[in-house]
Amino acid sequence: MTRKTFSLSIAAFGLLLAAAGPVAAHHSFSAEFDADKPVTLHGTVTKVEWTNPHAWIHIDVKGDDGQMTPWKIEAGAPNALLRRGFTKQYLPPGTAIVVEGFRAKDGSNRANGANVTTPDGKKLFLGSSGTGAPYEEKGGK
Amino acid sequence: MNRTYITALLLASAIAAVAQTPTSKAPAKAWKQTKTPDGQPDLQGVWVNFDSTPFERAAPANTTAPASGNQNALLFADRAPKVAARPSMVVEPADGRVPLTPWAVEQRDYSLSHVQDSWEYNTTWERCITRGMPAAFFPAGYNNGYQILQTPGQVVIMFEMIHETRVIPIDGRPHLPAALRQWNGDPRGHWEGNTLVVETTNFNGRGMIATNAASARIRSTPETENARITERFTRVDADTINYEVTIDDPKVSAPWKVAMPLVRDDSYKIYEYMCHEANQDYMEITLGGGRLQEKNAAAAGRK
Repeated sequence: MTRKTFSLSIAAFGLLLAAAGPVAAHHSFSAEFDADKPVTLHGTVTKVEWTNPHAWIHIDVKGDDGQMTPWKIEAGAPNALLRRGFTKQYLPPGTAIVVEGFRAKDGSNRANGANVTTPDGKKLFLGSSGTGAPYEEKGGK
Repeated sequence: MNRTYITALLLASAIAAVAQTPTSKAPAKAWKQTKTPDGQPDLQGVWVNFDSTPFERAAPANTTAPASGNQNALLFADRAPKVAARPSMVVEPADGRVPLTPWAVEQRDYSLSHVQDSWEYNTTWERCITRGMPAAFFPAGYNNGYQILQTPGQVVIMFEMIHETRVIPIDGRPHLPAALRQWNGDPRGHWEGNTLVVETTNFNGRGMIATNAASARIRSTPETENARITERFTRVDADTINYEVTIDDPKVSAPWKVAMPLVRDDSYKIYEYMCHEANQDYMEITLGGGRLQEKNAAAAGRK
């Protein structure tokens, strides 16, 4: 790709992103999670609930005081994750992961996961498509 | 930005770049409608409608109507759109806008502004009751798979989202008595040439005409007991069904029509989607968030 076509593509992305609005999903993001409270959690997988309408990844997060705090991370639906090549076995208990997401509005230790980074450095899209979540609307608002 | 996201953006760019195509497709010359063993035009197979077309056209610039949202950049992280975007899903009225009554707008806005107050203001989809009818055919970000089976006397449609099956009698039997009301109404089908026409009545008046965010301004619009939904399924080639639905519910709006192609995809695997399984978290967080806001507001008021 030449520099010029690359720039044009970036411009096209920008226009598209600017046009992107809240789209289709089971749950709208805004009722449940707070776009103004992004979280980055370094934790260890304790359990993966391969459930509908959303899978949940349970992790233990070590605080500055050394105390472990359990967190639950909402992911896409199992069939949506499966179509990305993501299975329940992908994150066995004990796996150290980094999750980027947004905190639940009820103040509990639950978050909507945008992506997860595994020990081999792979970063996977975790979210539900079309929730109107901030990671789908970058540059839009 | 991860690879999936970039891929989705590239697809969205490609879709936006293609010329907009007409809703209907002329029958291909080489293709001939095949029949089932009992003589029905054959619609059987797995069909999808990953379709980034905006639900409505944008409001004219000189009005104050709320924006309908623009789904041209709808990001299908799990499946690429199968058809080119068109100006709008809504094809009648000609302006591509649903003429909602003030009552419908008020009901919709009340529900949308109270989702953190009670489960009952959340859409029937968020409550895992049903995506609704005709809402079940309005494409979402994922799970847009439909399997059609035909047996003598009935057409059966299985919807991947949210794990629902419609059994449509086509044997001429009358509708259920008026006193029997159902979330998705009571469908009756008949053939007009190669077109399957399905009339659905007997709604319970507790559902919504559209439940997904891609239907933008129409999401959470109520559907009354008097709703009459008329669908037309016409297979125009081996891989395409032209789907049209007319919604007649006078308290909500003048009649309006949506049209879209359903695309045959034998490679698409429909998976189980048990919506209610872990839906408790959604309600806990959504309603719990509402109570936390009230508590914080009360605490701020005491200071």
